[in-house]
Amino acid sequence: MSQATGKGKERRTFLGVLLGGFSVALGAALGWPVFKFLAPRAGADEAQQVKIPRDQVAIGGAHFFNFQGRPAVILQPEAGNFVALSAVCTHLGCIVKWENDKGEFLCPCHGGQFSASGQVLGGPPPKPLDTYPVAVVDQDIMVG
Amino acid sequence: MKIKKMAIDWLDSRLGVSELLHQQLGGYKLPRNINTWYALGAVIMALFGLQFLTGILLLIYYVPDTEKAFASVTMIMNEVPFGWLFRYLHVVCSNLIIVALLLHMMSVMFMGSYKRPRELTWISGFTLLNMGLVFCLTGYLLPWSQLSFWATTVATDAAGAVPVVGEYLVSFLRGGPSVGAATLGRFFALHVLVLPLALMGLVGFHLFCVRRNGISQAPFGKHYRPVEPSDTFTHEEHHDGIPFYPNYTSKELGVIFFALAILVLITFYAPWLFIPLDALVPADPFVTPDHIKPEWYFLWAYQTLKIFPSEFLGLAVQGAAMTFLALLPFVDRGPERRPGKRPLFLTCYLLGILLFVGISLWGHYS
Amino acid sequence: MNRLFLGWMILVLLLWCGPALAQDTVCVQCHGGLDGRLGAPVGQWEKSIHAANGISCHDCHGGDPSDFAMAMSPERGFIGVPGYEEVPAFCGRCHLGVREDYEKSAHGEALANGGPNCVICHGNHEVVKASIDLINEQDCTRCHDYERAAEVKGVIAETEAKLQSLDLSVASLHRVGIDVERLSGELFSTRNQFRRLFHTVNVEKLQQQRSAFDSDLAEIGAQVGEIENQLSQRKLIGGIIVVLLVLAGCVALLIRQTYHSEEEAGE
Repeated sequence: MSQATGKGKERRTFLGVLLGGFSVALGAALGWPVFKFLAPRAGADEAQQVKIPRDQVAIGGAHFFNFQGRPAVILQPEAGNFVALSAVCTHLGCIVKWENDKGEFLCPCHGGQFSASGQVLGGPPPKPLDTYPVAVVDQDIMVG
Repeated sequence: MKIKKMAIDWLDSRLGVSELLHQQLGGYKLPRNINTWYALGAVIMALFGLQFLTGILLLIYYVPDTEKAFASVTMIMNEVPFGWLFRYLHVVCSNLIIVALLLHMMSVMFMGSYKRPRELTWISGFTLLNMGLVFCLTGYLLPWSQLSFWATTVATDAAGAVPVVGEYLVSFLRGGPSVGAATLGRFFALHVLVLPLALMGLVGFHLFCVRRNGISQAPFGKHYRPVEPSDTFTHEEHHDGIPFYPNYTSKELGVIFFALAILVLITFYAPWLFIPLDALVPADPFVTPDHIKPEWYFLWAYQTLKIFPSEFLGLAVQGAAMTFLALLPFVDRGPERRPGKRPLFLTCYLLGILLFVGISLWGHYS
Repeated sequence: MNRLFLGWMILVLLLWCGPALAQDTVCVQCHGGLDGRLGAPVGQWEKSIHAANGISCHDCHGGDPSDFAMAMSPERGFIGVPGYEEVPAFCGRCHLGVREDYEKSAHGEALANGGPNCVICHGNHEVVKASIDLINEQDCTRCHDYERAAEVKGVIAETEAKLQSLDLSVASLHRVGIDVERLSGELFSTRNQFRRLFHTVNVEKLQQQRSAFDSDLAEIGAQVGEIENQLSQRKLIGGIIVVLLVLAGCVALLIRQTYHSEEEAGE
């Protein structure tokens, strides 16, 4: 009797391990699609290159746009010379503001200041704004 | 192992979990002659759990707007990775849930388990079945296909047969004179918030009733002993019964796996069983498709409305039948549960099933 | 392919996709009750592809389909029955491309001398979906030898068969929830270009241009094939999961069995 129970226990342990294995496999078969379903996808709004009509960027002014899914800004400090920068403050990720009269960026969150070329002029930001390559093609500016 | 024991001891000394676990699992005894049909409740819960998961996933990409809903479903089906899988699982599972709910109800009826003292379990269960049907009805509209639009138009229109307030009732259900953006808004809210919350609450109550009364013995075999009706509350004890965990949960788990196998089989090989052609065309409020039919579980209602000379009569008969079923434990009050000793019940039961199947088939082929 | 034409064809296709049904107009109400020559077109039209796509009497014959008194008034644009030589222009109001190529063909050029107009091959009110079977010995030899017609048929047969089979494949993809809007648009446009080209009934021209159509179709076919591959892969994986679930179910029941035998032993 006790021997039979011992055998039964062994058998049950084996079956339990087997069931555990199947459950893990099935869980993975459900988990993987869930992960893929939720994982970010390269969307149409994340084109590698962005085209901006030249006349949208005034001399001395700034134009904000979306570049590879993130806010960016393009400046024309002097006629025909364009600079594209990330508009995301390197401190805590707020979007910098263009101060037209000073020709500088000011971050409204904690007062970070950046120059028109993205260099830190003051405040807490640890590093300059990222710059993006710019090319002028006819009446358009290609960023990226 | 040591950590696990420490964690349990820590919790145990504060909340007495092991006593609680023992009460609800190993010490919770089920009748010895319990059978497979008793596992249907667990199957339904597992399937509803899956509906919650796939439903939440679909909700991430679905847009409840008449202009965008169909396109968002098309996007889920074609662009989002595995979107097709979750959508088809959701559609097929909803149908399987109705099947499981019907089987659960029929087995409980056959074994007379609804009888005193389990009237409340029955009523909450019957309400859950109806809630399942409302889930289906509201979910049907969301893809905003021709099928969605016209099935909802026809279904809500039936309420117009109610005397006096019928017309107002129809526009109240629709949120306007005809199915439109207002209908989508209210059906969406019902489907994704109101019904799930209500369902969870009612399932909780249903389980509470089941646990409080104890599992009824299956009225078969030599071990069956009728329970004497009592005027005071008694928990049906099964001292020589089998532990709920792990003895019966292993069975429930097995049955759940088989149900999931059926679900996956249909999802991968024949999802079109539940996706008629009209579901592939965006809703057009100006063109009614030919031969529009409700889903299989509403065919009986659809055909009843057609059989009777007036819609009101049809609706009244449906209402009477549903009320009769809901109040069954109060109509059928005899304590006898063995089917062999309830010839009248058994005849009505079989005729009832035949009638349901017959009318549904008639509705399908008419 | 001509972009504009493609766009136009997709528009037409979209209009076709809806289960459009011609309404019960006064034309049908009145002529449906008449005998003989005046009533027959109604029954013939009901079986036609025009009826299936919601094209009713007034769409070709003009007039006012909602006004009994003025239904056949020229003031409301009623055209009535076109003369034999007016038929290509009559049908060509909708079938523009086909008309153009037909008019340049041997058939079209011979029209004034009793050459065939549209209805000679396609019929009029009972017009059905065009198929390659319209070219057959019995019909063609009503006017000329079958030899040249058979040659034309031989040139287009393969491409036509490909069109047919792609049509079926795209329809079955649509059935399982695949978004085929772009694919069926391309297919529709290719078919129309090919059919209009065919109306030149010019063997040399057909032979020259066939390869362009074949490569277009091959490209559509490749896209269809890729989707079909994906679908069968899905089925394979689904099959494996079903097997796993069944096995897991069996193991769970075997575990239950071990408890069951203990219960029996304990009795």
